[in-house]
Amino acid sequence: MASVYKALSKSKGDQPDVEKDGANGGVKRNKQRVLILSSRGVTYRHRHLLNDLAAMLPHGRKDVKFDSKSKMYQLNELAELYNCNNVMFFEARKGKDLYMWFSKVPNGPTVKMHAQNLHTMEELHFTGNCLKGTRPVLSFDAAFEQEAHLKVIKELFLHMFGVPQGARKSKPFIDHIMGFSFADGKIWVRNYEVREVEKAKGEGKGDEESTNKGKKPKMGDKDTDVSLVEIGPRFVLTPIVIQEGSFGGPIIYENKRFVSPNQVRSELRKAKAGRHNVRAEQKREGLGKRASLGLLKNGEKKKDGTGLDTRELFA
Amino acid sequence: MAKKTAPSAGARIASKEKKATVKKSPKTQKPVELAAEKLFEETEDEWEDESDEEATKLKSKKVKAKKAKKVAVGLAEDDESSDESEGGHGFDLDLARLDESDSDSEMEDAEDKEESESEEDEEEEEIDIDDLSIGNSSDEEEIAATTRVRETINNKDALLAALKRIQLDTSSSVPFAYHQSVISATPTADAITSIDDDLARELAFMNQSLEAARRARTLLRKEGVPFTRPTDYFAETVRSDETMDKVKAKLIEEASAKKASAEARKQRDLKKFGKQVQVAKQQERAKQKRETLDKINELKKKRKEGASSALGATEADDIFDVAVENELKSGNSKKRSFSAGEHAPNAKRQKKDSKYGFGGKKKHLKSNDANSSADIGGFSAKRMKTGGGAGPKKAFKAPRLGKARRKAGKK
Repeated sequence: MASVYKALSKSKGDQPDVEKDGANGGVKRNKQRVLILSSRGVTYRHRHLLNDLAAMLPHGRKDVKFDSKSKMYQLNELAELYNCNNVMFFEARKGKDLYMWFSKVPNGPTVKMHAQNLHTMEELHFTGNCLKGTRPVLSFDAAFEQEAHLKVIKELFLHMFGVPQGARKSKPFIDHIMGFSFADGKIWVRNYEVREVEKAKGEGKGDEESTNKGKKPKMGDKDTDVSLVEIGPRFVLTPIVIQEGSFGGPIIYENKRFVSPNQVRSELRKAKAGRHNVRAEQKREGLGKRASLGLLKNGEKKKDGTGLDTRELFA
Repeated sequence: MAKKTAPSAGARIASKEKKATVKKSPKTQKPVELAAEKLFEETEDEWEDESDEEATKLKSKKVKAKKAKKVAVGLAEDDESSDESEGGHGFDLDLARLDESDSDSEMEDAEDKEESESEEDEEEEEIDIDDLSIGNSSDEEEIAATTRVRETINNKDALLAALKRIQLDTSSSVPFAYHQSVISATPTADAITSIDDDLARELAFMNQSLEAARRARTLLRKEGVPFTRPTDYFAETVRSDETMDKVKAKLIEEASAKKASAEARKQRDLKKFGKQVQVAKQQERAKQKRETLDKINELKKKRKEGASSALGATEADDIFDVAVENELKSGNSKKRSFSAGEHAPNAKRQKKDSKYGFGGKKKHLKSNDANSSADIGGFSAKRMKTGGGAGPKKAFKAPRLGKARRKAGKK
């Protein structure tokens, strides 16, 4: 009976991952859990990036490498198994290209993006640091509100990178900010530490220490300013495709501007090969020209098969 | 949105027909035949440079063909609904309208208006067959080119529907602490002049986040949510202590490297400066010498003038130039004869002077005499036996290397 009631009450709410919170008087609770995993064949950098992201997300669940690249729908079952309603999947191809999938699990949407310019926290020698599990402030570019597909992407980022209020291992302070900017058709992701610095004019220092730190509701704004120090990681995402379902369903957005890295590489190779071909062609042409003018040296001269060569005739 | 059409003749016809149907307004479904006729002629003139005879021929053909063909209704309909963005000839629609009316008048069958709509598609299809057969090759090519391009998918309705399904409430009615997301006032891309300029780009990103941080802080403080971490609150951090130590070490290393290079540069500069000092000193010495010589000459001249009538000067003095000596001594002479009060050079110099001599006769100075030959103070039989020689214990002295190699070795 209880399960029936549960099912009924669940179906009433139109948003599956947002539930009524009794204690908070009508404000809906944001419940997110993210399954973070990669495919086989990731490089150490991809793995470190995954670890960095997992460290920042207390509502994340890291899982072992997923074995299949074709049967992505299995991820849905996997997520259900872990009670996750989001999946962040790192798909590595050819041991060098990284594609990141962001999906809302039961019924979509799914965004596939190509990740470039990865720099993990460790290799970036930035001085910033923050606590594990503090809730970040998410800073979105205004461009995210302008187009439908970017709106969807923003919403997914909000669910995955934003730590929900009251998440299990989250800490009560805010000491970092994640920036998502849209430039050049790509999404640039940055992570900064928020540091409070003294403003130039000093007040009584003693009472400031005791009252200012965090607890002061309104007045603390005047005496300190914030500054940002980058923490890392850094990466750039190019949206490729948005699917309506979770790892399936019709494609509702496709980025025409995206050029696959394979194509880029093959173009490069072709250009390289082209250089040689052009040179070879030129050489052949030059030889032909010289032959027609009778300027070839003895070694290069070909016998004509007609038997009318002077040397043959008068041998 | 737009369907991909196969590049066959039929497809081309269909897409061509699109253009005709685009701007058809429903209210002009049944125009007067006369007006249509007129319009048709007009359009013919402007659209394709065909003669009126051709046009009329075309018309009759169309009508015939219409009866014969009853295919591809679905295809035509599809295309009509699909591509609305195709701009193009404003007069095409009139042509289509005309054809419709023509056919209606010819066919006596009472067809419903709804049906006729599908039929008009067919008719239009026929038009286009004729058009193409008459030869509008440039158009043909254009169409073929457009069908080959892969259509981009951007289904905004579906995207918004998907968004609505998952959207969290981030409006101002819910507390900010619920979502903690800030949207910047202006697009960041505006602040970036060139995407390849790393510094400017990162600065723009940081400014976006800084603005967001400020706004978030005021909002959170208003809501009474703790923002700043107290200094005595310790917990595990995202980057481990080892990593931070590494970062610190790297910073220190960088700073010390910078300092060292600055020091080295300073040394180089000093060396350059030292050279200048040396040159200056040499010049000063030369000047002094010149002055001394001048003084001597002057004195000699003076003495020659009043030679015999000099007061204190004797003959001997005259011979040995005592006055000159005196004069030089009074000035800063280079001759060294140190009296007790004067400052003597260092001990090494004195030793060397005594050994090799300073001033005076140099000849035969180093040759032995009876005493020196008899003196065997510097001789040691022991050393003689070890074969080391009289010098220091260095048994083998490496030959002096070239300058470059010596310098390299020093570093």
